[in-house]
Amino acid sequence: MAALAQEILFWALAVMMGIAAIGVVTSRNVVHAALYLVGTLMGAAALYILLLAEFVAWVQVLVYVGAIVVLMLFGLMLTRAPIGRANFDNDQRLMSALTALAVFGVTSYIMVRAFEGQTIDLTRETGTLTSSIGEVIFSTYVLPFEVVSVLLLAALVGAVVIARRD
Amino acid sequence: MPISYFLVLSALLFSVGIYGVLARQNAVLVLLSIELMLNAANINLVAFSAFLQEAGVAGQVFALFVIAVAAAEVGIGLAIVILIFRNRQSVDVDEMSLMKW
Amino acid sequence: MQGALTSPVDWHAIAPELVLTAFACLVLVVDLFLAERAKWLAMPLSAIGVLATGAATLSLVGSERTTLSGSYEIDAFALLLKGLFCVIGFIVLAISFDYFRSGIRYQGEYYFLLLCSLLGGLVMSSARDLVTIFIAIELISVPGFIMTGLRKGDPKSNEASLKFFLFGVLSTAVMLYGMSLIYGLSGGATRLDRIREAIDGSGNEPLVMLSVFFVVVGFGFKISAVPFHFWAPDTYEGAPSPVAAFLSTASKIGGFVGLLVLMFKAFPEVADIWRPVFAVLATLTMTVGNLIALKQRHIIRLLAYSGIAQSGYILVALALIDPSSPGVSRQALESALVYIAIYAVMDLGAFAAAVAYARRGGTYFIDDYAGLWQRSPVLATLLTGFLLSLAGAPPMAGAWAKLFVFLATINAQVYWLAVVMGVNAVIAAWYYLAVVKRMFFEAPELEGPVEVPYFLRAVMGVAALALLVVFIYPPVITELAERSIL
Repeated sequence: MAALAQEILFWALAVMMGIAAIGVVTSRNVVHAALYLVGTLMGAAALYILLLAEFVAWVQVLVYVGAIVVLMLFGLMLTRAPIGRANFDNDQRLMSALTALAVFGVTSYIMVRAFEGQTIDLTRETGTLTSSIGEVIFSTYVLPFEVVSVLLLAALVGAVVIARRD
Repeated sequence: MPISYFLVLSALLFSVGIYGVLARQNAVLVLLSIELMLNAANINLVAFSAFLQEAGVAGQVFALFVIAVAAAEVGIGLAIVILIFRNRQSVDVDEMSLMKW
Repeated sequence: MQGALTSPVDWHAIAPELVLTAFACLVLVVDLFLAERAKWLAMPLSAIGVLATGAATLSLVGSERTTLSGSYEIDAFALLLKGLFCVIGFIVLAISFDYFRSGIRYQGEYYFLLLCSLLGGLVMSSARDLVTIFIAIELISVPGFIMTGLRKGDPKSNEASLKFFLFGVLSTAVMLYGMSLIYGLSGGATRLDRIREAIDGSGNEPLVMLSVFFVVVGFGFKISAVPFHFWAPDTYEGAPSPVAAFLSTASKIGGFVGLLVLMFKAFPEVADIWRPVFAVLATLTMTVGNLIALKQRHIIRLLAYSGIAQSGYILVALALIDPSSPGVSRQALESALVYIAIYAVMDLGAFAAAVAYARRGGTYFIDDYAGLWQRSPVLATLLTGFLLSLAGAPPMAGAWAKLFVFLATINAQVYWLAVVMGVNAVIAAWYYLAVVKRMFFEAPELEGPVEVPYFLRAVMGVAALALLVVFIYPPVITELAERSIL
């Protein structure tokens, strides 16, 4: 029963994310495109909860949806980008669509063949504990973790330098 | 649930992102499409992590790193967009005629 | 897990990174308290930082250490590259000083970002883990996006920055997708040696091929291999020229290190799959780079395309790797390391000369190099030395660099690639020598002497001398490379 519910949930999310993703790349309105991206990102967060990865799910909501998309919307507002309808596409749409279709076909074919018959057990009592994520970050991955902090500092300083008015 | 469900969904997002990168003209819209691709990679990572159960914590950690890096990149990207808009009043990548695209 | 948590960090092993980080932060803070006239002091401070990092690297010579449960390795390979990154950092600082002191604000922030990017290079040299490699390549490129846009009032610089940013982020996304597949197919391993073990037994060739494809495309952008090179010439031209020098050496070499480590440490067993990919990439990169370089009139664009072509020779080495014959693989990696080291010095030298000339009484246009010999014999001689080296002509080290890759190709019996290299060396000689001819045999159109600052002159002189010494006595570098293979 639980398995069926999960299956239905997955398909609902997948359809929603697919439609939202296509909205991101076809919308004629920049703000709508950003909002469609929110749809995809929220769908991904729900997917992570389905996959029992709660911590990643909440980070996704907080950082991605909460910070990144809000930043994008601010950027759109500050640049007073044309909010109404406008043509944002170049004339290579057919070629782009064919390329994308080819990538999708090849990638999904190879991946489906490679992982044929492998299933994820989603009926576990508990998912990944946040404490175990913390332990791994602060042991095996402590160096990249510290390096990311330098990266964020550099990005912060750089963004201020670039965006401020002289 | 078969892991291939998640992988096909991620392949879909990735290729939709590729379409956006190739077909869009506005820098912010190209950036939105690239975010789709980054998310596709993250879905893969978390799906593999769930598949491996206890042995797969690293996948989620990797996904967290990706989110942090994406935040840094978007911050810089928008700073550049704002700078260009201030100088030129337009952020169309195809319009950049000063240098060949 | 509890044991891993309490396992001590080997502080000495990461000393170079710690020193560099400390100096980067110091530069940022000190800059805050400097008056506008004294902002240039950030440069000597950064230079001291790079020298201290070099000293910390030297203090590790001879030791083999791994730390953080095997994901961070200090071996001869890592130390050689860390040393090289320090040399690159120092030369770029020397080029930057004169350029940034006049005209560009944000000197302190620039030097901070430069040191951060350099830190990415140091981390990359030691990274033996997917996550660390990913973060390192990001730390190398992200400050680059900003440094490219530092000439804020110049629309060319703005666009260079945006273009570099979009291509950079795109390459990250593609590379990351490949890495996520590697993570899956190796059963959740991120350490390269574990990935290697997992792949050996998986027999999942299409998936391995797909993930390697994505990763190579991602790195292809970073090393500006054809057909992923479009961003490079425009970015170099629009960026402040010292930044272009940095991008064409440190940033590119960072990408190469990541690629070399991944291919040698994680995927040697499936080399049959990716060797042809690199052979094609190398051929395209050399040929297209050289052909487009032929018609360039702007020295920075010329160096950009020539740099693309030079990447092709390093890619040749990757196309030779063959796990079934360790001798060939060894020689290929050695020649790649020799090439990378010599390329860095000669390319930076050429950039330094170009920047010095454009700053002091000249321009970036090759036509204006006419008669430079009469205006500044020193600068003309130095630039000639670097260009000869880039062309692979004696008496400079570049000749050995090309010859070693060539010999490795012959030894691996990939004769067609050797022929491609030979033809390309001839094409390349044409456009380098055209500049030399213009400097020596044409009458000057611009007037006046060219006053190159003494510090920059000294750094260029040492670089040229080093290239000369390596030509006369190549074991200086070959023995180092021999001891430093992975």
